[in-house]
Amino acid sequence: MLITGIRSKPIYAPLQPDLGGRYHLMVGYGVGAAPLSRLLGDFDRAMPESKAHTRIWYVADAAAPQANTEAFRAANIAELRSFNAIDPMLSDLTAAMDQALMGTRLYVAGPESFMGLVMRIAHGFNLAQDEVRAEECGTLARRVHCIHCRETIENVRTNIVQCGCSRWLVVRDHYSRRLAAYMGVMIDAEAPGERPEIKEVFL
Amino acid sequence: MSASHADTIPVRVVAVEQITPQIKHFRFAPIAGGELPAFSGGSHIIVVMRGAQRVYRNPYSLMSSPNELDSYQISVLRVEPSRGGSTFMHEQVQVGTELEIAHPVNLFGLAKLARKHLLLAGGIGITPFMAQLHDLRLTEVPFELHYATRSPQHGAYCELIAQAEPQRARLYHDSAQRFIDIEELLSRQPLGTHVYVCGPAGMITRVLDTARALGWPESHVHYEKFAAPPTGEAFDVHLQKSGIDLHVLPDQSLLEAIEAAGVDAPYLCRGGVCGFCRAEVLSVDGELVHNDHYLSNDEKASGKAIMPCVSRARCSKLVLNL
Repeated sequence: MLITGIRSKPIYAPLQPDLGGRYHLMVGYGVGAAPLSRLLGDFDRAMPESKAHTRIWYVADAAAPQANTEAFRAANIAELRSFNAIDPMLSDLTAAMDQALMGTRLYVAGPESFMGLVMRIAHGFNLAQDEVRAEECGTLARRVHCIHCRETIENVRTNIVQCGCSRWLVVRDHYSRRLAAYMGVMIDAEAPGERPEIKEVFL
Repeated sequence: MSASHADTIPVRVVAVEQITPQIKHFRFAPIAGGELPAFSGGSHIIVVMRGAQRVYRNPYSLMSSPNELDSYQISVLRVEPSRGGSTFMHEQVQVGTELEIAHPVNLFGLAKLARKHLLLAGGIGITPFMAQLHDLRLTEVPFELHYATRSPQHGAYCELIAQAEPQRARLYHDSAQRFIDIEELLSRQPLGTHVYVCGPAGMITRVLDTARALGWPESHVHYEKFAAPPTGEAFDVHLQKSGIDLHVLPDQSLLEAIEAAGVDAPYLCRGGVCGFCRAEVLSVDGELVHNDHYLSNDEKASGKAIMPCVSRARCSKLVLNL
C-alpha cells in the first residue's frame, strides 16, 4: 500500500568537507552531533584554517545530552549556537543566512524531518545542490502533509495515520521540498472504513 | 528542445545603424509579416548568410525587448581577421536584404529563483544583457550591471545603459584606467546571487577562476562566449552512415563542411557550449583538437566524441558516425 520508488524521496550521503567552499555553516539536531564532529575532524585534517570560517547551529534533544556540544567547543570554530528547540534555531539560522555571502556551504545532520525544515530555508535562499550536503541519522519519523486539509502532522511512525481532520491517511514516499513533508492521502475514500493494518514502519 | 535548424524564418533587414567604428546594429522583420517567435532575455539566433563561396551560420544574441516581437535586433562586431561572417554582415547586408534566421534558443537564461543577479559585460558582450534588462525590470529581484569597454567611443551602448539604469549599472573604460574589480565584486555578494558574464575570452576566464577561488558553486556561475570556430589545418572526413567523403578547409569548421556536403547535421549554438551537434568518432589517424566547453575532460581524452561546430582534427582521415 505504501507507494514506493518515487523519485522525490531525498537521497542523503555521509557528510564530506567541501574544500571549494569559503564559509561553512553546519546545522545539527540530536544525534546529528556525531556526523558534525566527524566532519569537523575531516576539515581539521584537510584544511585547518577553515575553522575561522566555520559556524555551528545545534539543537539538543533529550537523547543527545549537551555533552555533544563540548566536542564542538573544543574544535575552536568561529561560532557555536546552541538551542533546546528547533523553531528558535530556524529563525536564528535564517537571520544568519540573510547575512551570509556567496561561497557559503551548508551541512545538515539529523533526522530527515529536521533536515527538511533546514532545507526549506536553504531553498528560500536559492542554495543549489552543490552548496548543501545532508546526512540522515536518528529517527525515520516523517512530517506528513494531509493533502485534504493541508495540516502537517509531526513525528509519524506508522504507515497509516489519522489526521486532525479525522481522515485516515496513507503516508506516501512522495516528498515535497517546499512543504518539507511527505504527502498523506486518504486511504479509505472509496471504501469507507476499509483500512489495512497499521504498522510502525518509520522508526 | 527547439525547432530543427532546417526550419528557418525568412526575414528582411529593416534598419542598419553604425554604432561604433566596429559595431553595426541590425533590425530584422519577418517577410511574412506578423510576429516573430517569443523569446527570453539571453537568447540567440543563428543568422544564415549565403555568401558567394559558402554559407555562414553565425550566432548572435538578441538584444531587443522580449516584449517586442514585430522585429528582432542584433549587433555585429566586425572581427579582424574575419572568417567571413561578420564581414558579410558589415559589407553585404543593408536595408532590404533578405536573410534567414533560426528560431531563438536560450543557453544564457536568467536563473528564475535567484535572489540577486550580477551581470558582467565586456564590449559586445553587452547584447544579451540588453534583452535581459527588459525581463529584470519586471521583477523585484535586485541586480547590478557592470559594463566594461575599451573607451566611451567603443562602448556601443554606454549612453543608453547609463540613461536607462543610472543606479543599477556601472560603466568602466580601459581608456580611463577603470576596470571591473572582479574579486572585490564576487567576494561580497549575498547568498543566492547568480553571476553572468559575457565578453572577451580573457574576461570570462578571469570571472570563472575568481568565482571558483571564492567558493562560488558552478550552479550560480553563467557565461556565454560565441567564439568563431578556430582555424587549423585541412583534413579529410568520412561520414560512415551517409557514405560521404568530404574535405575541411583550414578556415572552415567541421560542421560547415558537413553542411556543405548536403548533410543535415544537428546544431543549436554553433559555439561549442550546447552539446547538440555532438558526433561519435569512429576513428582518427591523428589527434582531435577539442575547442568546445561541453565535453568533459574525460570525454575529450577518450577520443570517442567531437563537437563539429568548433572542434577539428589534426589528421589525414577522421571517420564520424553520421
